[in-house]
Amino acid sequence: MGPRRDPVDDRTKLYACERIPNEHGGEGKFTSRIESVRSGDGSPGRDCTDSEDDRKRLGGDGVLAEVLTVFINGLQQGAIYVLVAIGLSIILGTLKFVNFAHGALYLVGTYVGLLVTLEIQLTDGKLAEWGFTSIGLGWGFLAALVIVPIVVFAVGLLMERFVARPFYDRPDTDQILLTFGLAIVVQEVFKILFGGQSYNFARPGWASGPVDLPIIGAFPEWRLYVIGITAVLVAGVYALVEFTDFGLVVRAGTRDAEMVELLGIKLSRPYLMVFGVGAALAGVAGVVGGPLYAVNPNIGTEILVPAFLVVVIGGVGSITGAVLGGILLGETLAILVAVAPQWSQVGIYVLAAVVLLARPQGLLGSEEVTP
Amino acid sequence: MSDEPTETADATEEGGAVVERERTEREFPSWERVRESELFVIAITTVALAVFPWLFARAPVISGVLQGYQDLATLIVIWGIFAMGFNLLLGYTGLLSFGHAAFWGGAAYAAGVFSTHVSSSPLLIILAGTAFAALLAWALGFVALRRGGIYFAILTLAFGQMAYYMALSPLSGITGGENGYTGVELAPLLGSFFLQYPVPGLDWLVGTWTYVLVGVVAVVCVAAANRILHSPYGMVFRAIRENDQRAEFVGLNVWRYKLMAFVISGTLAGVAGSLFTIYSAYVPVQSLYWTTSGEVVIMAVLGGVGSLFGPILGAGIYLYVENVISGVQQLTLPFTGPGEYVTLVQEPVVLLEGFGAYWHLILGLVFVAVIVLFPRGIWGLFEDAAGAVRRLGSDH
Amino acid sequence: MARGEQNDVSRRDVVKMAGATGLAGVAGVAGSASAQENPPIGNYPIQGDTATFGFNVPQSGPYSSEGQDELRAYELAVQHLNNGGGWVDNWEGLSGNGVLDYQLDSVTGDTATDADTARQSARRMIQRDNAIMVSGGSSSAVAVAVQELCQREKVQFMACLTHADDTTGGDCVRYSFREMFNTTMSAQALAPVVTEEYGDDLNFYQLYADYNWGQSQQDSMNTYFSDAGWSQVESVATPLGTSDFSSYLSQVPRDETDVLFLNHYGLDGANSLSQAIDRGLNEDMEIVVPLYNRPMAQAASGAIEGVFGTVAWDAQIDNEPSNAFTETFQNEYDRIPSGPAQLAYAQTLQYAAAVERAGTFYPPEVIRQLEGHEYDNIGMGPETMRACDHQAQRAVPVVRGLPEGEQEEGSFFEIVNLTPREEIGYGCDEGPAAECELGPYE
Repeated sequence: MGPRRDPVDDRTKLYACERIPNEHGGEGKFTSRIESVRSGDGSPGRDCTDSEDDRKRLGGDGVLAEVLTVFINGLQQGAIYVLVAIGLSIILGTLKFVNFAHGALYLVGTYVGLLVTLEIQLTDGKLAEWGFTSIGLGWGFLAALVIVPIVVFAVGLLMERFVARPFYDRPDTDQILLTFGLAIVVQEVFKILFGGQSYNFARPGWASGPVDLPIIGAFPEWRLYVIGITAVLVAGVYALVEFTDFGLVVRAGTRDAEMVELLGIKLSRPYLMVFGVGAALAGVAGVVGGPLYAVNPNIGTEILVPAFLVVVIGGVGSITGAVLGGILLGETLAILVAVAPQWSQVGIYVLAAVVLLARPQGLLGSEEVTP
Repeated sequence: MSDEPTETADATEEGGAVVERERTEREFPSWERVRESELFVIAITTVALAVFPWLFARAPVISGVLQGYQDLATLIVIWGIFAMGFNLLLGYTGLLSFGHAAFWGGAAYAAGVFSTHVSSSPLLIILAGTAFAALLAWALGFVALRRGGIYFAILTLAFGQMAYYMALSPLSGITGGENGYTGVELAPLLGSFFLQYPVPGLDWLVGTWTYVLVGVVAVVCVAAANRILHSPYGMVFRAIRENDQRAEFVGLNVWRYKLMAFVISGTLAGVAGSLFTIYSAYVPVQSLYWTTSGEVVIMAVLGGVGSLFGPILGAGIYLYVENVISGVQQLTLPFTGPGEYVTLVQEPVVLLEGFGAYWHLILGLVFVAVIVLFPRGIWGLFEDAAGAVRRLGSDH
Repeated sequence: MARGEQNDVSRRDVVKMAGATGLAGVAGVAGSASAQENPPIGNYPIQGDTATFGFNVPQSGPYSSEGQDELRAYELAVQHLNNGGGWVDNWEGLSGNGVLDYQLDSVTGDTATDADTARQSARRMIQRDNAIMVSGGSSSAVAVAVQELCQREKVQFMACLTHADDTTGGDCVRYSFREMFNTTMSAQALAPVVTEEYGDDLNFYQLYADYNWGQSQQDSMNTYFSDAGWSQVESVATPLGTSDFSSYLSQVPRDETDVLFLNHYGLDGANSLSQAIDRGLNEDMEIVVPLYNRPMAQAASGAIEGVFGTVAWDAQIDNEPSNAFTETFQNEYDRIPSGPAQLAYAQTLQYAAAVERAGTFYPPEVIRQLEGHEYDNIGMGPETMRACDHQAQRAVPVVRGLPEGEQEEGSFFEIVNLTPREEIGYGCDEGPAAECELGPYE
């Protein structure tokens, strides 16, 4: 955050157009203390802040900047979707398990991340009633980035063993219903423990505020990290699945689990791993995405619907598909916001419907993988 | 009244064959029986619906314990129709839709707009809303049914959400956006009965004309659903749930039957949605949100999919917990504290403070328990219990 | 379950039947003296010797913490009305021993900040629990939906937190009264303070939530800041359901805009404000958030530093009624009351006092007592509950967010000004009031 100036000093005696450039290259706010003589017509400042003129001055560069801004906004929005969707997708593709409680893992990740990173004051909810009015480790963000995946990985293992495994042989609908119910239970438990209120997941100090990008100008630094962290994690998971023995089993299992079992390879362990890795990714998404929005018990269900759209757009079981789907969804959202905001929310559903109708297996999914 | 799904293979062959044959040929021999059972279902439903509001809101002792009230009885019946319609799809064809809010809410809006601009006759309003929902269901079903399983669930969810966001923003000029649709106008039923007034002479039993309207429509819906399920159509639906590939092999156009089931289900949701507009004289935009679809899923599963009456029971339980249990401040031991019919201890024994706030959690836990332990729902439990009693009786 | 309801046939249904069939004599069963004078209406006459209030607040969902605080204040109000204490001791007409000959009881409902749920729980309180008065809020959509129901059911509604113009504008009803100010009054209160602080002839850019409240808020801001000599660059709608405003914020022209108005409420406001600061917009311009609430301040934390806005009430307001309320609330609950809590407390007492003045719970009489009522006892200066639209004409607190380090539990703002009612408001034939048709008393 830039240095705060005392606006009291600025009052009335300045022109709106007389600004001191700030440290990010943009024109600063009206911090000039020069007492300028007002022009006679009584409408000082208007002529030099005329929006028409300004836009002309920006010219082609302005258009390019706008396009790039929209693009990077979309990329960043898509990044969170990608992180949540990859887990959903590989679990669905490999284990044929539909996890409507995947959003709950995101929720767990965010809250655990919040508690590891900061120390928060509780005013409502059972925890506060029990006397835990101040809770959290306050170890900072990097600690959360390490601890949360481990915790949520463990949660994922438990979920596989006690929730998913007994339901592998039940129909899709039963899996959806079970995990839908579970998602409600998890959300309610968090609501009861922490209260329904929202918490501020402060961005880490080293990444808060804007950073200056070429052409685009000021851009929230944290959002760049979101894109970066996502890229690294996606690359890691991709390598894990493509280049390791574990990945080989997983990929084979995706194609034809029965055949792999026939070959004498036990799949229960890799399956456990897949669930754990998928869960851990959702958990990390919670930590990375947490600081973007206010944290409350509803965020899990809110992220779930777009994440599912990403999975079906990209194609079940495909990591690259999830990446493509996520970016596509993010970009659609960003473009519509810039062009026709009223339709932005409707747009992502239209996109999903169109893709599913034109290419039912998803953009990068293969026919035989789809359940 | 047994709605137990018939065994797969038989149903498939029987149903498949029947469709090809003349209807009368098969139905004639057992026509008496069918008519009897159908009449029985209608009679039972009518009696139950007539007694329900009295039992729930006015009967001595029972209503005091239940803490029910007239409007909640009406609402339960309306949602009961919705859940029953939903279950025609989930329980009989195995298709799980997460977008039924589109039909419920769509019909509610259509009914509301119709009441303002065309006619405020309650019967016409219901017709208008229902017709809208049927058309919408046909259009969405046409698209969504291209894929089964998880894809179907997500596509319906996507369409439902699309409808919600349409109503919220681009169409807010018509729908009233976040504030909901407030311009609902209601003329007296058949030109002479004001809906909010009690039924003269029978108000102790059924309460208001609104309830009578809702109840009559509910009986019609139950009769229609019962007829469908016991028709060849119903058998095909069950065959599809058990194994749609096999149904396909015996020459059935599975897709077409699924579409029919979807349209019927959406139509019933539309009937309920239109009634909701009449009941509340207001259409909230949340009626299109996916949580509404989620609620009807919970109701149907809780009550018991695959039976005609299970989902209605589920609707009752859900709304009861939502509206009555949620208002309970303290969970106390029965017969303790003042105001009970039998008071053993004057000082209430409090088990849980702020009990009402847990209503959502309780529903979630019960829902999960039902899925894991009793896939046939609470109604299925009752049936099993009744069966066990009968068996005990016959042993002696 | 909990409390047993002893009457077999709901009195409400009997009364309704009486209304339908013209058997007004049935009302005689109620046995109250005034019942003979006034015909039955809604839940009047009250059966037994206990009057029930219905408190309909968000107990689940994102505003549940606000709802909990309102509920504390409501319960405090009932306790004081029955047993004395708090403002009751100083208010004219209130005895501290119930209202008229009745002791007070209350039932609560959960609105979940959802119009449909709110109407359902209001129906329960009206129909089953025979509530004579319903109060609550925390959202305008909820307030509008519930007050419409109350008008139908002829049960009084004392609106708590609702800020949209519609509540006492196009959607106003006879049976509802609003103490809270509205978007027009917020803009009127902010304009002089903000223009004085930041200067003349500035350009402002607006983002607003694309629904009723947001639209009327941005409209009011445009009107009153243009009147004050500022000019609007653009006003952009963000659809409801948006939680990431980043893309919208990136469209704000940094070099043209001096002040950014974020017309988002609650959590949306917290998100849009934090995201604006994250984008560094506060380095190029000033930011104003027309309406604050505590959940928003809590969720936005340090982002509110220096940001102007209005609040319903704040515990730091230093006058006798405000201090008294803060003290009694703190003694009871050991926490600082929020703005909506003060509204909840004031509205409950206001209703009780009107009943005392009317000498009956008969709603049309109580309504007439509230209409045009002049008072100066809730800490907002001299006030009038205007008869033409049921909107209180009162002072509006303008505040500024505190830096994160100075924020404490229950204290997020510094009071800049208590803009008195003379400087704000509008005539009965202008603005929102012009659209208001209150509907019938009976």
